Amino acid sequence: MELPQSMQDALTLAGESIHIPDAQFPSFVEVAFRGVINSNERNAIENLKEFTSKDPAAVKEAYAGLVAMVIEAAKQDTDIESLSSLLEDCKFPPERIKEVSETYQKNKPALQILLGSVGRTPAHIVDVDWRLDYYVKNNHMEKVNEAVYLITLKTELPSLKELQEVQFSCSQEQLQDLVGKLKDACKCLERISQG
Amino acid sequence: MLLMFEDQHKEHLSFLTQVSPDVVKEFCRISMEFIRKGTNPKIFQGAAQKLNVDVDTVHHGVEGLMYLLTESSKLMLNEIDFQDSIMTLGFDEDTRQTLLEIYLQNRREIRTILSEMTMDLPHYHNLEWRFDVQLASRSLRRQTTPTVLFKLHTEDSGVKDTTILQTDPVNLLHLTKVLDEALQEMKSPYCRRIVRNIK
Repeated sequence: MELPQSMQDALTLAGESIHIPDAQFPSFVEVAFRGVINSNERNAIENLKEFTSKDPAAVKEAYAGLVAMVIEAAKQDTDIESLSSLLEDCKFPPERIKEVSETYQKNKPALQILLGSVGRTPAHIVDVDWRLDYYVKNNHMEKVNEAVYLITLKTELPSLKELQEVQFSCSQEQLQDLVGKLKDACKCLERISQG
Repeated sequence: MLLMFEDQHKEHLSFLTQVSPDVVKEFCRISMEFIRKGTNPKIFQGAAQKLNVDVDTVHHGVEGLMYLLTESSKLMLNEIDFQDSIMTLGFDEDTRQTLLEIYLQNRREIRTILSEMTMDLPHYHNLEWRFDVQLASRSLRRQTTPTVLFKLHTEDSGVKDTTILQTDPVNLLHLTKVLDEALQEMKSPYCRRIVRNIK
């Protein structure tokens, strides 16, 4: 696993007990991971009152380095060996390497889910509502007498909290066609998952 | 159900009672053309000269016929009702027979033309689907996320539109199941009873 040199230097600071004392290291690491995963805990580092370091700028840089490593490792799906060797290069003592690796293992799935959801995708269908009407007549024609379905697809967009809707109507034949095509897609899916 | 004619209509159509069934057929053909493509006043001139009558009379005759045909198609009159409705207009047997034939032949087409005037909702036209596996993105490498992409084609009064949507395998199965249930609903006894009874 590779980090840009400036980040590697910053990470090295996190391994030094002058800046981050041994007693505070575990909570330092914990806060870094939680800050990435939970957007409301992004500034939790401010609340760590036990830091009595003489150089707050160094603490800040160390935190930046650690967070960069967390995200990059999850992004590249790094395994423990590569992570450990990177931390060794940054002159981390063995206990600190172990601490970071364990926390990384624990949080890796959540980190990857979060990273996977970043980015633009088309509207993602999550639910469908339907309504069946009987079309009797209109102001130009009487005796129309047809069944009409109104279909609403509920979709999710990554940036919006509320579900969006896509609405359209269908006659019975059209719905038959639609369901036929969806069934083809399902069969294709089954075949792929078995083969 | 019978068509009611106002006096003005009866007057316009009375001209046709005096001509031969062939002429009536010709007028019917002209009326159908007008219903399909819109009116063309020049034809009135030619016909008026040939029959030796006023342009206006021809004009009203054709309009009266158009009204008769469109109203009957709109109400979807059956044979008996149509014949009873034109009984009061004073046509002879042959003419009535001709009119009935023309009506029965053309009423589907007239209804299609009328339906172009009705309001339309965006309706389903076609669905294209495609199965993808997402391997990586800028923020996460080494993924294997199955995705199904859809292109939904809808049409609204002739205007076509496409929407790109995606879903995952679980939602695809759910979607198929729910829409299949919707389709089956039309075959349930309740719906069938309603359809039978609304005529």
